[in-house]
Amino acid sequence: MAPRFLAAAAVLALAAGLTACGSSPTGSTTPEAPAATALTVWIMRDSMSDTLLGTFERDFEAAHQGVTLDVQIQEWDGIGQKVTSALASNDAPDVIEVGNTQVAEYAASGGVKDLTDKVTELQGADWLPGLADPGKIDGKQFGIPWYAANRVVIYNKDLFEKAGVATPPATRDEWIEVTTKLNAGGNQGIYLPGQNWYTLAGFIWDEGGDLALNEGGTWKGGLDTPQALAGIDFYKRLQALGEGPKDSDEANPPQADVFAKGNVAQLISAPGGAVAIEKANPELAGKLGFFPIPGKTADRPGAVFTGGSDLIIPEASRNPDLAYEVIKALAGEKFQTEMAKEMSYVPNRVSLGGVLTSEGAAAMAKGAANGHATPNSANWAAVEAKNVIKEYMTTYLTGADGRAEAARASQVIADILNTKS
Amino acid sequence: MVTQAPERPVAAAAPPPPRRRRGLPALWPYLLVIPTVAGAGYLLFYPLIRSVIISFQHFRTGELIRGGAAFVGLENYHEALGSAEFWAVVRRTLVWTGVNTVLIMVISTLVALMVARLGKRLRLAVLAGLVLTWATPVLAATTIFQWLFQSKLGVVNWLLTSIGLTRFDGYTWFANGTATFAIMVLLVVWQSVPFAALTLYAGLTTIPQELFEAARIDGATAWQVFRDVTFPMLRPLFGLITSLEIIWVFKCFAQIWAISQGGPDGATTTLPVYAYQVAQSLHKYDLGSAISTLTVLILLVVLVPHLRRMYKHEGADQ
Amino acid sequence: MIKRLPITLAALSVLAVSVFPVYWMVVTAFKPTRDIQADTPQFLPLHPTLEHFATAIDSEGFALFWRNSLLVSLGAVLLSLVVALLAAFAVARMRWRGRKAFILMVFIAQMAPWEALLIPMFIIARDTGMLDRLSMLTLIYFMSTLPFTIVTLRGFLAAIPEELEEAAQMDGASRAAAFRKVVLPLLAPGLMSTSLFGFITAWNEFAFANALIIKNQDDRTLPVWLSSFSNVFGTDWGATMAAATLFMLPVLLIFLILQRRVTSGIIAGAVKG
Repeated sequence: MAPRFLAAAAVLALAAGLTACGSSPTGSTTPEAPAATALTVWIMRDSMSDTLLGTFERDFEAAHQGVTLDVQIQEWDGIGQKVTSALASNDAPDVIEVGNTQVAEYAASGGVKDLTDKVTELQGADWLPGLADPGKIDGKQFGIPWYAANRVVIYNKDLFEKAGVATPPATRDEWIEVTTKLNAGGNQGIYLPGQNWYTLAGFIWDEGGDLALNEGGTWKGGLDTPQALAGIDFYKRLQALGEGPKDSDEANPPQADVFAKGNVAQLISAPGGAVAIEKANPELAGKLGFFPIPGKTADRPGAVFTGGSDLIIPEASRNPDLAYEVIKALAGEKFQTEMAKEMSYVPNRVSLGGVLTSEGAAAMAKGAANGHATPNSANWAAVEAKNVIKEYMTTYLTGADGRAEAARASQVIADILNTKS
Repeated sequence: MVTQAPERPVAAAAPPPPRRRRGLPALWPYLLVIPTVAGAGYLLFYPLIRSVIISFQHFRTGELIRGGAAFVGLENYHEALGSAEFWAVVRRTLVWTGVNTVLIMVISTLVALMVARLGKRLRLAVLAGLVLTWATPVLAATTIFQWLFQSKLGVVNWLLTSIGLTRFDGYTWFANGTATFAIMVLLVVWQSVPFAALTLYAGLTTIPQELFEAARIDGATAWQVFRDVTFPMLRPLFGLITSLEIIWVFKCFAQIWAISQGGPDGATTTLPVYAYQVAQSLHKYDLGSAISTLTVLILLVVLVPHLRRMYKHEGADQ
Repeated sequence: MIKRLPITLAALSVLAVSVFPVYWMVVTAFKPTRDIQADTPQFLPLHPTLEHFATAIDSEGFALFWRNSLLVSLGAVLLSLVVALLAAFAVARMRWRGRKAFILMVFIAQMAPWEALLIPMFIIARDTGMLDRLSMLTLIYFMSTLPFTIVTLRGFLAAIPEELEEAAQMDGASRAAAFRKVVLPLLAPGLMSTSLFGFITAWNEFAFANALIIKNQDDRTLPVWLSSFSNVFGTDWGATMAAATLFMLPVLLIFLILQRRVTSGIIAGAVKG
């Protein structure tokens, strides 16, 4: 018994030795080596295609001798905590992509570099306000606009044809009618997970309601207003016309993968979602169509959330000057044009909008006319992080007392927004 | 079942041992515990004190990044104790701890008593099964349970549907607060019973058989034997396991966070989950620290009787 | 025979309940996707396949994270065993002023709210240049398993009669030699089961690994990666279960190799716990 135990101990000791030497090359960062500067860039999952990032990386490294780019893909789950830790560390990533609903919170924290003096060089006067405003606090620009997008309906042309639907619906009533027809014979009319709260927000705005209202400096949750209840009621009717899970959002499972199986007729997503679908199932290439989310009447498309991202440089970046070079390239005309073509995003500058010619981008541009933003508060990110709306949606959809749940969720939203930071 | 018998015939040769070792320098024990004390000082008590300090400060994202937090006295404690949500979470945590601990203790006692009565082969099989469960990593277990209770393809829904409970066809367990709470209880009990049952069984094997026989000759029923012989003999063991289980269940975090993150609608938010949410999701590190401090105090209060007994018991040892 | 039927049934159902979830994980991992999605679940892998394991292993970074986890966990276990053994020896075999308080503190240390220490630990790591380092994780895991390891090892030590050591010492061995030759072998099952416990604890840990490894993504550990399962595998439950199986593999291996000894070790150690 003793020798065998000693052998085991020796193995452990050996392994511990490995820990010691194994962690040193990767464990210590290499800022002391001036030969090659490594820049770390955080990009959110699925926000850019691999080819786009690959090309950018190659071009940038070619243009900047002795610089290597390490692009790291981040998950949306728990991103608030992650970015906060990075800002608080003393060796942060050099450039970080942050959602336009979250950038205000980071900018207010004091951990983000003030880039006000670069605004002119980046032609800031031409920026989309929906991206520039949240990145600006007290006249100082912390977040640099990167791209914007809003949601459209992506549909499977084959399934529409098979069901005999010739033209995409233009009003909510038509939409329900068409989707009901499509939801037959083993096919899903629409794949709408229960927690797609940006879509719900659109329905609520259509009814004239909002997620939260600022009344004389005090926030009030808006989910229990009659308008908001009408919005979620419509969501419930639509959601039932497919097999979207009631207790999950569009990322779990990734909805593009579900759609790629070929038996889903419609999906609500930014037009760029089509790239992920075609990557998962190349057979669907060319068979995807787009239309704006239908509104209550045919003359006005459904309201949509104007989403997008800004780029920031943490104060703790060790290479702020090179980091700015990265931002300049990502926010510049060349990348923006390529991005608009490949991802169908709206470029960060109004004057570049002309490059959007694809079918998806056209649908998006129509919807963008009725674009909205989330309540303007640095605390809004906390509402998202706590999943208040998502959980409310699940309880509502699974048949709880809707009115009471709505009142409760509204109260939580008000509590969070009224917190002083 | 304990370790192998010693190979040397010791007892016969050795004289009664001196209770105090000869020539043992009084310094040795202190040297031996130095690494423990140093490690705990740096990696446990120091951060713990920092945490308590944070709970008396205004400490949010800005202070984390820039430093320079200001002291605000008991403000965070006022906020925590003054919110209805906190007390709802405290109540839920006590219910959570109570339900789990009672279930774990009852089930593991039954299992231990059962194992003691089994034949050799079956006993070994059951013991091996229990150890396997005990050894399943938490994250593997949570993934498995999510798969078991998955709404469309989950084997549990299939089972319930096929025995006639058709309302479970496609039932979404994790959308319902009570159902999620029940699954969490099931998971924690499943993971905790092995340790308690194995320990109790080990304790059972140390009780002299004559005691049981004597009781049986007196015509005692199984329940009476347990009440009058087994339980009194194992009382210290029951005390220890119960208090360990209370600590573990009360502190349980990873399982809940991995499966429900405290949801849906807060139905599985216990104190540790609540403190984590407040600190990490809402970035109110100050309030989160205050809640954690209160959590430890509550746990200490719950365990005071046991700690006192333990202290006395150690005293008798000396 | 008839009389034993109820207890046999009870034993079998306990066995089934404890083993089924793990069994179901492994079986799912070996089933082709078509069988996983069948309306009626198949309780045996009728068409076993390794494709899900291939998917899991091929996914980005899996091997690296697996290695990181292994190094961190083994390092923590070894450190904790050595330190705990010293302390347990002092507590079980010696009498000294402060012993009672020490035992009480060790017990109370088990109540430490680890998740609440995330921010202080982050600050400490940052200020000492230990962020983004696996060695910081190793230290934390060492500390989080130490109290339980001390308590358990002390139980094992107390169960080994002191006379054994003394006899060896009378034969001329030094105290250290007596400990090594007599006590350590008897302690082996205890060391095995406590290290298994420590290993599992470290192997599992998510919150610190997630918070303290920020920029060096190659230093991430398996649980952090596993937590983004659905991002990696989506609806692919086969690959998810294969990854979970691979996650459990080291524990499973230790368990299979040392099954008898670990079982008896846990039981023996528990008595004096």
